[in-house]
Amino acid sequence: MSTTRRHTILGATAAGGALLLTACGGGTGADQAGGGGDDAEKATTITLMAAEYSKDNTKAFWDAFADEYKSTYGYTLDVNVVSWDNIDQQSSTMIQNNQPPDILNLNAYASYAKDGLLYDSDEVLPDEAKSDILPTFVQYGTYDGKFYGFPDLASARALFYNTSLFSKAGIANPPTTWEELEADAQKITDGGDVGYAMPLGPEESQGEFSMWLFNNGGDWKTDGSWAINSEQNVETLTFMKKLADEGVTQANPARTNRADAFDLFASGKAGMVVGFSPLAASLDEDGTVDYAVAPFPSNDGTESKTFGVTDYLMAFKKSGNQDAVKAFYELYYSKDQINTFIEKEGFLPVTQSGLEYFQKDDKLKVYLDTLPNARLTPTDDPTWDKIKLAVQQNLGSAMTGDPQETLDKLQQTAESEG
Amino acid sequence: MTTTGDVQAPSSGRATPGGPRPRRRRSTGIGRVSTPVALLWLAPAIALIVGVVLFPAVMLFRASRSEYSITGLYLGSAGWENYSKVLSYPDLPVVLKNTLVWVVAVVAFTIVISLALAQLLVKDFPGRRFVRWAVIVPWAASLVITSQLFVLLYDYNYGLVNHVLLGLHVIDTPISFLGDDRFTMASMVVVGVFVSLPFTTFVFIAGLNAIPTDVMEAAEVDGASPWQRWRRITLPLLRPAMLIATVLNTIYVFNSFPIIYTLNDRNPGFGHDTLITFMYKLAFKSQEKDVGMSAATGVINVLIILVVVLVYLKVVNWREETR
Repeated sequence: MSTTRRHTILGATAAGGALLLTACGGGTGADQAGGGGDDAEKATTITLMAAEYSKDNTKAFWDAFADEYKSTYGYTLDVNVVSWDNIDQQSSTMIQNNQPPDILNLNAYASYAKDGLLYDSDEVLPDEAKSDILPTFVQYGTYDGKFYGFPDLASARALFYNTSLFSKAGIANPPTTWEELEADAQKITDGGDVGYAMPLGPEESQGEFSMWLFNNGGDWKTDGSWAINSEQNVETLTFMKKLADEGVTQANPARTNRADAFDLFASGKAGMVVGFSPLAASLDEDGTVDYAVAPFPSNDGTESKTFGVTDYLMAFKKSGNQDAVKAFYELYYSKDQINTFIEKEGFLPVTQSGLEYFQKDDKLKVYLDTLPNARLTPTDDPTWDKIKLAVQQNLGSAMTGDPQETLDKLQQTAESEG
Repeated sequence: MTTTGDVQAPSSGRATPGGPRPRRRRSTGIGRVSTPVALLWLAPAIALIVGVVLFPAVMLFRASRSEYSITGLYLGSAGWENYSKVLSYPDLPVVLKNTLVWVVAVVAFTIVISLALAQLLVKDFPGRRFVRWAVIVPWAASLVITSQLFVLLYDYNYGLVNHVLLGLHVIDTPISFLGDDRFTMASMVVVGVFVSLPFTTFVFIAGLNAIPTDVMEAAEVDGASPWQRWRRITLPLLRPAMLIATVLNTIYVFNSFPIIYTLNDRNPGFGHDTLITFMYKLAFKSQEKDVGMSAATGVINVLIILVVVLVYLKVVNWREETR
């Protein structure tokens, strides 16, 4: 009898435990629905969900910004800084619950615009701000003829190379063609180090691939239709696979994330890596690696194209918040605020006035010169938000499989989604 | 909650025939209270169960029958479509296989090693206190931190494990413990066992301490060998502890997220995912990015673990009855 009862209790505990644990795991989809602010009153408090670019600066900047916002306009700004690991999850949960933040800082916007959740520039962006934003970013921020994706900052990629490894291998100048890159990587590998650190892991493989394909005359989309498996792109991925097969990259490129590749370069074990200004900042702070920055080589030696990335500050339509949101953008795009933020975080400007302001910094010259012509991924297409994820999860499979097949599959996915 | 009813049913059914009327018993028995008073005392517990278990479960089920945009926006009802999409997902067989390997391997290794550890730790030896504390440490550390630590240990370029193996000339080139498909699952199982040991060991220590010494002494007097004493007395008397350790570990390991997510984050696709990380990736990392499908997977997970636990308990009961 006593054992039976113990089993009963155990069974109940087990069942409850299973339910509880699993319910928690999937709980993001299960929070309360409904609610929503239908009150027509003017909002005096708005919320910002901001991505954490750095532990030291992001929160400090937005807190100071909120003070300024309060004293200038009288509105209160609730600042919520969230790490990049969690921000997708948190914003998605808030939207499921019908309680989106007023302003969301994220690396995608088109799907939100497509769902009709966002204000466009005519509704909330002051004219001076709009005319100051670089035309490239306006173009990539425009969905269906309207400008929704207001850029907060940008970054552009370039080739970082370890100068001491280069001189050890007897290489005088950074490569300007892919052939040279391959030869240089081979020489460095012969010296016992990693020639070229190639991150094709799921963290950001679309970034690495973009840099390569833009410099082989390829693109993700041409003339409005998907061109993922174009001849140039297959050639590009085949070349990348060749580098991996020759062993001039680190072991297992398909399973190396960008952060790991950066670590490898920062430890002085890798000859080359595609990096951006925050990497430079952290290398300078450590001061252990001698490095220089050069434009990424193109396949045939023609002028290098850079891969640009921008994140967005988008505004959610909620009744009564329009004035406060407009005031937010007026303040953010004022020169003092936006340039301070970008300078502290070590990124690149997205405005004309910002370009002028940052001319003072010699180290940024290599990026700034290329920035107005930077190529971006097709962030203005909501389909890209899914393709990006498909690329992250699948591109690496080309390293052990067939590049043509990998890209064909991605092309199919894109066509069936779009 | 259906389980509670199922399991309780036979015992209450057994009590009624021929016994005294329940009502009279309740009014005259000592230590019995009226239903309203009982409910009053149970109210906090019931509220907790409703709020923390039932409500999320209902919401999870609702979400699994809804259609969501990639942004998380609710688009309307989806019927059973999310379920059919999950069940026909091309990677599902791999994920199920991984889940099975993961749960069975971690639980089995954990139980065997914990038994040995517990046997050692009930013996009196100098420094036992210290060793017992050392066993608890992995339990106290956050799973994410432990996992991250193992990522560093396993690292291809500067990991300690490769360093030692290279130094001892066991291998010539480093092993990519987390990137090489042959090693990934095994590397994760090691971590899973490592973090499950403390709890299980202490369950067994408690179980061993509860074994009456006179039984042992009697066996010794009767001339039973140490192995016989262990096999015939210790092991059967550890049965309740074994049951608890197995069931709780199974649920815990099945639902373990941080280890697999952290150690597997460099690997594309679903090649080494279990149902739990599969569920997370469906919602936030895969090209579907679909909360509805993820919720459907969540419901399926609950059903699987319930069935597994009930089947286990049933098998254990069945053996007891036929003995």
